[in-house]
Amino acid sequence: MKAEVEKIENNWVNLKIEVEAEKVNQALDRAYRKLVKEVSIPGFRKGKAPRKILENFLGTEPLYEEALDFIMQEIYTEAVEQAKIQPIDAPQVAVEQFEEDKPLILNIKVEVKPEIKLGEYKGIKIKKPVVEVKEEEVQEYLEKLQKRHARIKTVVDGTVEQGDIAIIDYKGFIDGQTFAGGIASNVSIEVGSGRFIEGFEEQLVGAKVGETREVKVTFPEDYRDKNLAGKEAVFNVTIKEIKRKELLPLDDEFAKDVSQFNTLEELKEDIRNKLKEEKEKKVRQEIRDEVIKKVVENAELEVPETLIKRRIDAHIKRLDERLKMQGYSLEEYCEAAETTEEELREKYREQAIESVKTDLVLEEIAQRENIKVSEDEIFEEIQNLAKDYNESVENVQKHLRLKDNLQALTYGLLIDKTIKFLVDHSSPVESSNE
Amino acid sequence: MDRAEDIILKPVISEKSMELIGENKYTFWVDKRANKVQIKKAIEELFDVKVEKVTTMNVKGKLKRFGRNVGRTPNRKKAIVKLREGDKIEIFEGL
Repeated sequence: MKAEVEKIENNWVNLKIEVEAEKVNQALDRAYRKLVKEVSIPGFRKGKAPRKILENFLGTEPLYEEALDFIMQEIYTEAVEQAKIQPIDAPQVAVEQFEEDKPLILNIKVEVKPEIKLGEYKGIKIKKPVVEVKEEEVQEYLEKLQKRHARIKTVVDGTVEQGDIAIIDYKGFIDGQTFAGGIASNVSIEVGSGRFIEGFEEQLVGAKVGETREVKVTFPEDYRDKNLAGKEAVFNVTIKEIKRKELLPLDDEFAKDVSQFNTLEELKEDIRNKLKEEKEKKVRQEIRDEVIKKVVENAELEVPETLIKRRIDAHIKRLDERLKMQGYSLEEYCEAAETTEEELREKYREQAIESVKTDLVLEEIAQRENIKVSEDEIFEEIQNLAKDYNESVENVQKHLRLKDNLQALTYGLLIDKTIKFLVDHSSPVESSNE
Repeated sequence: MDRAEDIILKPVISEKSMELIGENKYTFWVDKRANKVQIKKAIEELFDVKVEKVTTMNVKGKLKRFGRNVGRTPNRKKAIVKLREGDKIEIFEGL
């Protein structure tokens, strides 16, 4: 097999392939053997007709088409490797010569990866914020914890105060008439939570257990029940019970109750560490993003339209799938959001270009730095996935064998590894101003 | 049916007939009334070959039903001719 590359324009190349006559005949033979099993010709059992009879019966085109498929499958990857090109789209094949006992000549037009001029990508300077946890932050976290673990106590004699939970019965009237949804009993209401109509909760403050109060409210204009919106109503509210959240004192006892630590100091230390870890994670993510952004900025390339379109397609497809899961179609979504699919595409375009660019640049760096993903790393990732999804390793492997899943996984690992390489080779500059 | 074209109707194309070609035997549908001598002469005339042997057989038409009506496809005669070694017939022209 011979393969010649010729540049046409932009990212398109013409790949001229010549395949030996011997291979052509082999492929024709294979095509015959495949087709003969599928066609039933009178006088012959399936798969038993001689080639000549089959050709007369079907004509020669199907046979040649089939044979071309076989040849392409066999030689295309090889030709691509030989020609050292990186196609990004399905090839457009034109047959120049295809006859039995003669070499096959193909002209294949295909879009390839653009040339990428990498700028500086090692030793990128980035600001690295200093991670510090302030005492106030620990205190804040502790207070949240305190609130979450507050005890609820019934108040026997006392009045409703902000933050209390009152158990009430109510009966509402509009112009002296009761209305649907206006009567209820044993409703618990947290004063100050704002879950009831504005003003309702506040008017209960100061009421005693057993007391009945008149509460006057106006339903808001945008109330969900159109019949009630904007109307004034009077509620007869009876307080049945008052419950109060009681905060526990922050001491060693508290630490023992809410955590596995024995002293408050230990609990604080743990919180400090947790917060620090969280912040460090955030910083790492920031550095990562920053490095990628700078490296991509430094590179020069033309992003092929095909890739942009494919990225947008994938995005729309994901959106569509997500909507389907919730029982909507893309059309319904567009209608509700007063937009069209085209507009969505246009909106996502910028982002798509950026993400394609990033991928291309990272791929190029991976290639240049000879970053590769080993079988062991793939297997390790599979084990991690299995653990995450609580599945057996075999199941995960089975799933990966479907479609391009394994390829996607490998690609993801490669990109991750490349990013790690870039981060490792960057030069962070400590800066305290966040 | 004096002419050779009228005696030899068309080749039989089937797995078996293809296999027989390997033994230099060619199979044809022939006129029901033709005898072996006539078949031999007709083949020799049409294909310019030498026939060593002719075997013939009458093939009864198949019973075909269409609802209550029973019909029969026509009876036919099949002839297998053995050629002299080296002679050949290209019988694939008019499929």
